[in-house]
Amino acid sequence: MGGIELTELEQDALTEVVNIGVSRAAAALRKMVGKQVLLSVPAVEIVTRERAATLLGERESDELVAVRQSFAGAFSGRAMLIFPEDNSLDLVRAVTGDELSPEEVVEMEEEALSETGNVILNGCLATMANMLKRPLTMSIPVVFRGGGSDLFNPDPEAGEDGLVLFLYINFTVLERNLRGYIAMMMDMPSLATLKDLLGQFIAEVVGEAPQ
Amino acid sequence: MTETPPDLTGLFGTTALREPGTLADLGERLNVSLAAAGAAGAWDWDIEAARLYFDPRLAALYGIDAEKAAQGLPTDTFFAAIDPSDAPRIRIAVAGMLHGAEVFLKSYRLRAADRSVRWVEAHGRCHYDLNERPVRFSGILIDVTARQRIEERLRIAQSAGGVGTFEHVPGFGTVAVSEQFCRLLGLHPAGVLPVATVNRTVNEGQPPLFDGVTNPEHGVDYAEICIRRADDGVQRWIALRGEAVRDIEGGGVRHVGVIYDITESRHTQEQLRELNETLEARVEEEIASRKEAEDALRQAQKMEAVGQLTGGIAHDFNNLLTVIIGNIDMATRRLAEDADARVGRALGNALKSSERAASLTQRLLAFSRRQPLDPKKVNLGRLVDGMNDLLTRTLGERISLRTRIAPDLWRVEVDANQLENAILNLVVNARDAMDGTGSLTVAATNERVTAPSAHSSMQIGDYVAISISDTGGGMDEATIARAFDPFFTTKEVGKGTGLGLSMVYGFVHQSGGEVEIRSTVGEGTTIRILLPRLHGSHVEGEDQVAQEAKQGRLSETILVVEDDEDVRNYAVEGLRELGYAVLEARDPAHAMDVLRHSGKAIALVLTDVIMPGMTGRELAETARVFSPGLRILYMSGYPRDVIVRDGRLEPGVDLLPKPFTYQALAAKVREMLDD
Repeated sequence: MGGIELTELEQDALTEVVNIGVSRAAAALRKMVGKQVLLSVPAVEIVTRERAATLLGERESDELVAVRQSFAGAFSGRAMLIFPEDNSLDLVRAVTGDELSPEEVVEMEEEALSETGNVILNGCLATMANMLKRPLTMSIPVVFRGGGSDLFNPDPEAGEDGLVLFLYINFTVLERNLRGYIAMMMDMPSLATLKDLLGQFIAEVVGEAPQ
Repeated sequence: MTETPPDLTGLFGTTALREPGTLADLGERLNVSLAAAGAAGAWDWDIEAARLYFDPRLAALYGIDAEKAAQGLPTDTFFAAIDPSDAPRIRIAVAGMLHGAEVFLKSYRLRAADRSVRWVEAHGRCHYDLNERPVRFSGILIDVTARQRIEERLRIAQSAGGVGTFEHVPGFGTVAVSEQFCRLLGLHPAGVLPVATVNRTVNEGQPPLFDGVTNPEHGVDYAEICIRRADDGVQRWIALRGEAVRDIEGGGVRHVGVIYDITESRHTQEQLRELNETLEARVEEEIASRKEAEDALRQAQKMEAVGQLTGGIAHDFNNLLTVIIGNIDMATRRLAEDADARVGRALGNALKSSERAASLTQRLLAFSRRQPLDPKKVNLGRLVDGMNDLLTRTLGERISLRTRIAPDLWRVEVDANQLENAILNLVVNARDAMDGTGSLTVAATNERVTAPSAHSSMQIGDYVAISISDTGGGMDEATIARAFDPFFTTKEVGKGTGLGLSMVYGFVHQSGGEVEIRSTVGEGTTIRILLPRLHGSHVEGEDQVAQEAKQGRLSETILVVEDDEDVRNYAVEGLRELGYAVLEARDPAHAMDVLRHSGKAIALVLTDVIMPGMTGRELAETARVFSPGLRILYMSGYPRDVIVRDGRLEPGVDLLPKPFTYQALAAKVREMLDD
């Protein structure tokens, strides 16, 4: 896969780093909405853009909604928080409270999504930067919709080589289970940097250089 | 394994756990609760104090004194019993928890103090202080060794057997599937897939794998479904089997079942079926061709029967006509010049009618292929050209005649008189079909037949085709099928004999050729005569010249052998009138007597062919033994195959066809004697 592959341990490490991030995000959301919010990331994969698109296409029959932010620093690229369309309304309803009318939910959807996405993606990326001890800057979130292949269209300016860190994310908001995905599109140098940083993290935690 | 962790807050009340002093008090209660929950043990990790507490069961598992475990252990103890191959990833996961991750759900191997290896599943949660800083990390271990084994067996059963499992609640949009299930359909491995994704692999026109419409109570029907694998697009056959399990809330059912690939066996089945199908088709074809052959045979037998009948009638008829014509002839010749003109006219009419009757008999014989043909090398182009005047007159002014003769036409060997007759017949038919106006084309072309046809007996080879095309009313299939039958006519009663086409048919077949009819109702008809090409000699042996009857007078002796008395008398009278000395015999035996004992030099024997006791031919052979070089002239209207081989006169055989006129008799006899 383009020369960059994460070892199992590196994948575990990345999963945990992201887990810390989404947990922070969940804590922030709890504060925002005053309700029980639980986030976890069970697995991570590095896949090509095409595979990411077919993966989403196979697993989701609905249209998708995504919140996208660009990031730059030791590693750079674009991050997306992706939901099936019906889940996104549930999420909005959950974070805004059930007292809103359906029209209001639809009206607020965009704003609520971009805010929620910002919290979660920020949590992830900031934690990664923090854990890996490198600063990152992030752009303003953008909400957009489409099928799997629309979401993974390459950005001609970013010059990305087409690899995607693909993370599954489980949301539990007020006992409601929602599923979503976090995708981070990075170029090769960024991935190589990430791999290095993960190696350092593992060495610290496990106590010796892992194989 | 996506089980939600047991709600630990109920068991490990955080306030209580923050006070180590109260832990002992809770110990007993906890143990009971955890044992009831099926837990193998519980831990509580005080992050700030960096101390680790085990409940007695977990302490026992680790082989640690329960008392010590309750008082706190170094945190690294947590990893002490974890299998070394699992330890690094658990360290990473725990590091995540200590840095702020909330949910801990891992399974790994634990080396217990009793040296047994257990698969455990750890469910943990982190607890935070008011500043969202992690303070405690606690959880329980569940022994999943037995489950792990079962899962392992199930996984191997699936991958080794190529069987994928599914679980679907009818009406739900998603279906729980196994990895092997995804592999069989070429999908990325997933635990849950949208029904739409699974059904999208199904080929068009096939039933979906999961049907939301049918009655869920009905259960799972066995189905064989053709799919196209999502990853490589390869088409496969998948079998689906399962059961309806009634155990979910509200009395609903789950459909639990398996899918497996049956492409190979389907292939084998299909090949077998194809073989069977083509077998049937082959048998049908064979039966059809047999039926065609039977039909052809039946038709041939019918023609043969009609032929025999007509041949027999014609034979007797010719004898009668010979006498009638002969006698009219005689009467006419002896009619005094001053006799009543009406008598002459009457005799003339009688002769004309007799000649028509003779030609009718001729046609009957032609149809039954029993007329002796006298084939010669013929240039068909010249023959058709030669008929131009006759045909133009026949057609009348309002029908235009066109002839198209291909250059370099191949030679054929055919009885020219009969061919002219056949062409004339066809032209007359065409004229009648055109109701007086239109155009008629007579064409002659070379024709190469390269493949045998199911519908005709035509051999592969070269032919010369003469086609007569009209612009008349055409014929329908039923009429074409019967067109060659004798006495079949579409003309009004009294206008046609129904023998024209059957005569053409008989003659052409006797000549080794074929007749074809192509016709479209309302557009016209083309009848083609195909005659086999004559290969070899290019010598112009050529062309028949119509015999001119001529009178002759000589006093040679002629022996007439004929069993029919009237015919014999007519021949004898005629020859005598011509000046010949005539002896007569009523049968071959008598003839031999005459030959032996008359004492006269006999110049010619004029003999019938079919006679009682001995044929004319046998007589000739016997006579020639007695008198070599004896000239023999046969007279016959229907010689059967006595002097005919393959429909033609044998070489060196001379025949005077019955009925014959006085002139014809005179000419033929003279010709023989002069030869």
